[in-house]
Amino acid sequence: MTNHPNGKTEGMPPLARLLSGFDKPRNVTRLFYLLLAVCIALGLADFLYHKHGYFAVEEFPAIYGLFGFVAYAAVIFLAKGLRLIIRRPEDYYEPFAIDTEDERAAGSDPEATGGKPHA
Amino acid sequence: MPEIGTPALVYMVAALIVPFVRPATLRQILLLAVPVLGLLTFWQLPYGTYGTFNLMNMHVGLMRLDALSYVFGLIFSLAAFLALLYAWHVRDTVQQVATLLYAGAGLGAVFAADLVTLFVFWEGTAIASVFLIWARRTEGAYATGMRYLIMQVGSGVILLAGIVLFYRETGSIAFSRMDLESPATWAIFLAFGIKCAFPLLHNWLQDAYPAATITGTVTLSAFTTKLAVYALARGFPGTELLIYIGATMTLFPVFFAAVENNLRRVLAYSLNNQLGFMVVGVGIGTPLALNGTVAHAFCHILYKALLFMSVGAVMYRTGTSKASELGGLYKSMPLTMIFCVVGAMSISAFPLFSGFISKSLILSASADTGHFFVWLALVVASVGVLEHSGIKIPYFTFFAHDAGHRVKEAPFHMLLAMGITAALCIGLGVFPSLLYGILPYAVDYTPYTVTHVVTQLQLLLFAGLAFAVLIRTGLYPAEIRSVNLDFDWTYRRLLPAALSGVAYLVQGTWRFASRIVMGRVDSLIAGVYRAHGPQGPLARTWPTGSMVLWIAVLLGMTLVLAYI
Repeated sequence: MTNHPNGKTEGMPPLARLLSGFDKPRNVTRLFYLLLAVCIALGLADFLYHKHGYFAVEEFPAIYGLFGFVAYAAVIFLAKGLRLIIRRPEDYYEPFAIDTEDERAAGSDPEATGGKPHA
Repeated sequence: MPEIGTPALVYMVAALIVPFVRPATLRQILLLAVPVLGLLTFWQLPYGTYGTFNLMNMHVGLMRLDALSYVFGLIFSLAAFLALLYAWHVRDTVQQVATLLYAGAGLGAVFAADLVTLFVFWEGTAIASVFLIWARRTEGAYATGMRYLIMQVGSGVILLAGIVLFYRETGSIAFSRMDLESPATWAIFLAFGIKCAFPLLHNWLQDAYPAATITGTVTLSAFTTKLAVYALARGFPGTELLIYIGATMTLFPVFFAAVENNLRRVLAYSLNNQLGFMVVGVGIGTPLALNGTVAHAFCHILYKALLFMSVGAVMYRTGTSKASELGGLYKSMPLTMIFCVVGAMSISAFPLFSGFISKSLILSASADTGHFFVWLALVVASVGVLEHSGIKIPYFTFFAHDAGHRVKEAPFHMLLAMGITAALCIGLGVFPSLLYGILPYAVDYTPYTVTHVVTQLQLLLFAGLAFAVLIRTGLYPAEIRSVNLDFDWTYRRLLPAALSGVAYLVQGTWRFASRIVMGRVDSLIAGVYRAHGPQGPLARTWPTGSMVLWIAVLLGMTLVLAYI
């Protein structure tokens, strides 16, 4: 939500106009709480049926959910740590790599303008 | 259809004809007809070995049709058709011919009944596919293609060495189940491992796939690595080592994918991670696990192609595939966005999508056989898949920051290719029996149980919640223009640096040694010159007087000696 006015929907395909409501910060927050509510419901659903697991640890209520949450966060934080070690400038392997080349060489539409980094 | 030995022949004949067909539309129709014709050559054939003959006392079989090769033949034909449909706009003859030869070689290898036929097509896939990278026609693509070719041809050469040893050992070149017990089978295993992107042998994949053309990457994603999975499933089912190799493969790409900026490279890491699931299945080797491997390869080819297609369509319209330069594209390309999300949900294994019905076979097989830690690794890897392919790809392309691209929706033929692929992804997810019916072993498995659906949704949605929390708190790693080092650093930087270091040392030692030796020789020559040269004491002219004096001295001494 940087330099482009949201709100402006003319010229968008109808399908996109339908979705553009989700761009508003208020609706993003609503979506977040909806997801939270669905997650809590799914966690509670574990008490409603008999679970057929392979391992004893699977019997714990909502274990898959909790595990998913923790594993996701762990993946992200480990990856951030990894980035500190492995990150290099984009032209590191130049000229024997495609990383800084104009990507339109890969067969883009002649009208394509190419990428610009975010402001 | 007449029996012609191998469907690869259809592709090769077509590759010879295509360059001479001038009208563009006619050529495209011919291209699309090739996979259909190829499929018809084996579609209704009874199982058995065809195209057999003796070559220098070796029993060659061009086409072995059985339950395992049939599924791979089917999905390879389908993938070739979809990739060619997606490339309808391409007018580059090199790419068209390379695609045909590559797909044909892939099919030929899958149907090979003997190791020599396998080797020929194995190398065929390597040589044909590199042109899809070189078709970019830049210096970087040329260098990348060379690295790719070295790895791929290297795999072929090791395979050939293995085959020669194997033939000397057993007197047979039949391609069937092998045990890892001799240098021959180890060499064959290593050759398969390179093509399958085993850990530390994997970097050709992440290096080369983002360097190919937009349409070329879609083609590349289908054949090479799945051919290797097929070869492992055929040659080394139940090899325990593969379980641990596979589990490692599912885990490590997850972290690299999370911080990668080039979205096609993210997908290449994701491909690597998916291969890991299949390799674990091969390693477990029970009928359930092998069914899982085959089913997962089948589904994976479709949803991975779909993801590469959608990122490719974005790249086609905007001219970039970097997350740092994309975002907000749902406003311009909503249909592409929907297809991308279908691919993302399929790979993440949401219920009703294809990944759910195939990956669960492998997870169940690992749990069934009591591999707790392997099973746990696969669950963590599943969360990782959701991270990089399920969320990162669609989110940073179509949502997140609006990068300001206002472009047209993808061309119709791309939408059609993506639409068909997406329909297949959902179709397989909703009607798993379609796929289960053609798997190599009888399937007694129900993916849609309450436990499985609820636990899977918990896993995925709670992980999604973690993403939402991290994005809202700003802890999610930003997309930054950068390259990330991986193991390829060792041969792209460390090895050249080490070699130039050695060269420097050798050069220095040589200079030092030659300086010392030359110095000694010089001073020796100078010494001789001093004594014997024109100015040297031995070259001086002597006065007659001193000669007389010395004669007198000699005479005197002789007299003295004589009288003593």
